[in-house]
Amino acid sequence: MLLSVKNLKMHYKTKMGYVRAVDSISFDLDSGEGLGIVGESGCGKTSVSMTILRLLPDNAEFKGGEVLFDNGNGEPVNLVSLAESEMRRYRWKGISMIFQAAMNSLNPVYKVGDQIVEAIQNHFPDTPTDVAKKKVAELFRLVGLDPTRMEQYPHQYSGGMKQRAVIAMALSCDPRIIIADEPTTALDVIVQDRILREIRAIQKKLNMAMIYISHDIAVIAEVSDRIAVMYAGKFVELADSVTIFKRPMHPYTYGLMHAFPSVTGKKVDLVTIPGEPPDLLAPPRGCRFYPRCPKGDKLCEEKDPEYVEVDKGHFLACHHPVQPGEVVQFNAE
Amino acid sequence: MLKFFSKRIVQIVILLFIYVTIVYWLMEAMPGSFTDKYLMNPKITPEIRQNLAKQFGLDKPAFTRYLYYMKNFLKLDLGISFSYFPKKVSSLIFERLPRTVFLFVTATLVSYILGYNLGKRAAWRRGKILDKTATFVGIVFWTIFLPLLAIFNIWLFGVILKILPLNQFINPNVWRETNLSAQNIFLKLLLNAFIFLVVMMISLIFAQRVKTVAAKRTIVLLSAVVTLSVSIILWTSTGLGIYALDIILHMVLPVFTLTLYSFAGSMLVMRDTMLEVVREDYVVTAKAKGLPDRVVRDKHAARNALLPLITNFVISLGFTLSGGIITETMFSWPGLGRAYLEALNSQDTPLLIGLLVFTGIFVLLAHLIADVLYAFLDPRIRY
Ligand SMILES: Nc1ncnc2c1ncn2[C@@H]1O[C@H](COP(=O)(O)OP(=O)(O)O)[C@@H](O)[C@H]1O
Ligand SMILES: [Mg+2]
Repeated sequence: MLLSVKNLKMHYKTKMGYVRAVDSISFDLDSGEGLGIVGESGCGKTSVSMTILRLLPDNAEFKGGEVLFDNGNGEPVNLVSLAESEMRRYRWKGISMIFQAAMNSLNPVYKVGDQIVEAIQNHFPDTPTDVAKKKVAELFRLVGLDPTRMEQYPHQYSGGMKQRAVIAMALSCDPRIIIADEPTTALDVIVQDRILREIRAIQKKLNMAMIYISHDIAVIAEVSDRIAVMYAGKFVELADSVTIFKRPMHPYTYGLMHAFPSVTGKKVDLVTIPGEPPDLLAPPRGCRFYPRCPKGDKLCEEKDPEYVEVDKGHFLACHHPVQPGEVVQFNAE
Repeated sequence: MLKFFSKRIVQIVILLFIYVTIVYWLMEAMPGSFTDKYLMNPKITPEIRQNLAKQFGLDKPAFTRYLYYMKNFLKLDLGISFSYFPKKVSSLIFERLPRTVFLFVTATLVSYILGYNLGKRAAWRRGKILDKTATFVGIVFWTIFLPLLAIFNIWLFGVILKILPLNQFINPNVWRETNLSAQNIFLKLLLNAFIFLVVMMISLIFAQRVKTVAAKRTIVLLSAVVTLSVSIILWTSTGLGIYALDIILHMVLPVFTLTLYSFAGSMLVMRDTMLEVVREDYVVTAKAKGLPDRVVRDKHAARNALLPLITNFVISLGFTLSGGIITETMFSWPGLGRAYLEALNSQDTPLLIGLLVFTGIFVLLAHLIADVLYAFLDPRIRY
């Protein structure tokens, strides 16, 4: 197992109390695998990745859990217990990231090529600059950028080009894992789709593991081997992509599926889930989806369902899973 | 680029003419006549009076006089001082200019370097002890009444501790034995400081090229130490050392006071911009790349927060040319600031106009330099 996240918990401390953005998240990631994390905006997807990389803001409080990273030589290391100076060595070289705001991920006062060279020389200090530059040129070609653009500044790039440069930068230290946090939301749909496919192709070619994060299940469906569905700081369901689409068991997953036009081709009614996600400052006592769930009952209100493996490789946190063939009706109030 | 600058220079020339005109008419509108003040001076003999009257058109109506002034101004002739008769205003200004430049440029430089370093650290450790102390101390000195601070420092260091000379610019006892001119030594000192500054700038540019922080530090420290020791050796070997030291000792207190008074402004600006910059995504990216904390802070965050500070710095350099009237008076420093006060007190209108015009020129030039520097530091700005 390349990465193994166990009961990860991280809350933001605010004047009003704790925002439970990451509340006991567990998942595994194999090398070469593509895992999608999908959930409504604000459910904590970015917080999960930032907790793994330990790039949290000052008001974040780590509340427990493990992030076991296996770099291939011996025992896996628990990233959460590393000293900051040790942790630095795992960033980018172990796990790199394509940020949600890729447009602003490049420092405006340095040449794009130099910013990537900087990452390479940070982790491989013995690399001469010309060798590093050659590598950057290769990466530029790989992501479809003209290598002469290395000498340009970010403001001379278009949005799509910045996106590609950021991808090249994420690849620069040959990381074992790349986390792509809504890497394409700022781009128009056609470019978005193309870039995502390209990322996937590169991932397969270089045999890296990838975590794709999106609020749109349709976007990541075709690039992920497995998909985790996140709701209000928790994973509610995780299974391979086909199962998630063919046989969603959590009413929320079911709702999400029907909130978007089906990608399997069959025309399905467009239903959205009525209601709002809960306030993470004071989430419901029982199941967090209970207030919006048509199947919710007393049990769901009282008791938070455990996140367990219900089928091989199929994880679920629900008291009343959707049965095969069942039609769940979401009623708009 | 060239087009932009030629446009800017034309603008500056136009602005300068408007400014000189306004200054001239303001002085002209002051109670008491310019002409009378000139001509009533008992030191002026009738022939000279006539000559002057002719040269400056003092017997002509005000508007003609203005034209005369402008004509002379174009020839860089700012007229003749009334209180220092028959010294030329321009030579008076140029005599005092180096003293003010040395004092205020040193203080401005020190306070900006201090402000930059404290401000970036405070913002980086927002809400921690360092941040709270720096902000508190900064606001105290920012709001303090400057004469009070000057008196306190004079009292503490000059009277109680007796470690620094009180005021003036030289100690007459030291200079009695020699016929060296203080101005001469002073200019040499200024040249030395300028060379030091240039060397430091070059070494800073070189330091950008090397990779490790330790190497950067070594380069900067080494060049500072080498230049300083060469200067000290030169000064002592020529026997001029004690005179230079005397001048330097007289500078310490005013520079210290000015720095205390003005570092807070730059620190607070730096802290503020830095707080904005640290929230930028590229700072998180830099950290995600696994860069050491210090590199993220200095190379990625502070470098971007530097831009507004540089503008402030250059423009305040422009204003230092006017000299601090209060500071120079408190420390009896014979610079341009004192000249302002003297010109006002003795109703020396030509000197006053000259000083104001001179300050205007420098502030306008400083703006131009700020533009150049900005384009140099921020690749997004191209003219
Ligand atoms: N620094 C912070 N302080 C307090 N709350 C935060 C902070 N950052 C994010 N949050 C809150 O945490 C929750 C999860 O945010 P985020 O991880 O960005 O969600 P997502 O990426 O899924 O949109 C949101 O409710 C958000 O408002
Ligand atoms: Mg997000």
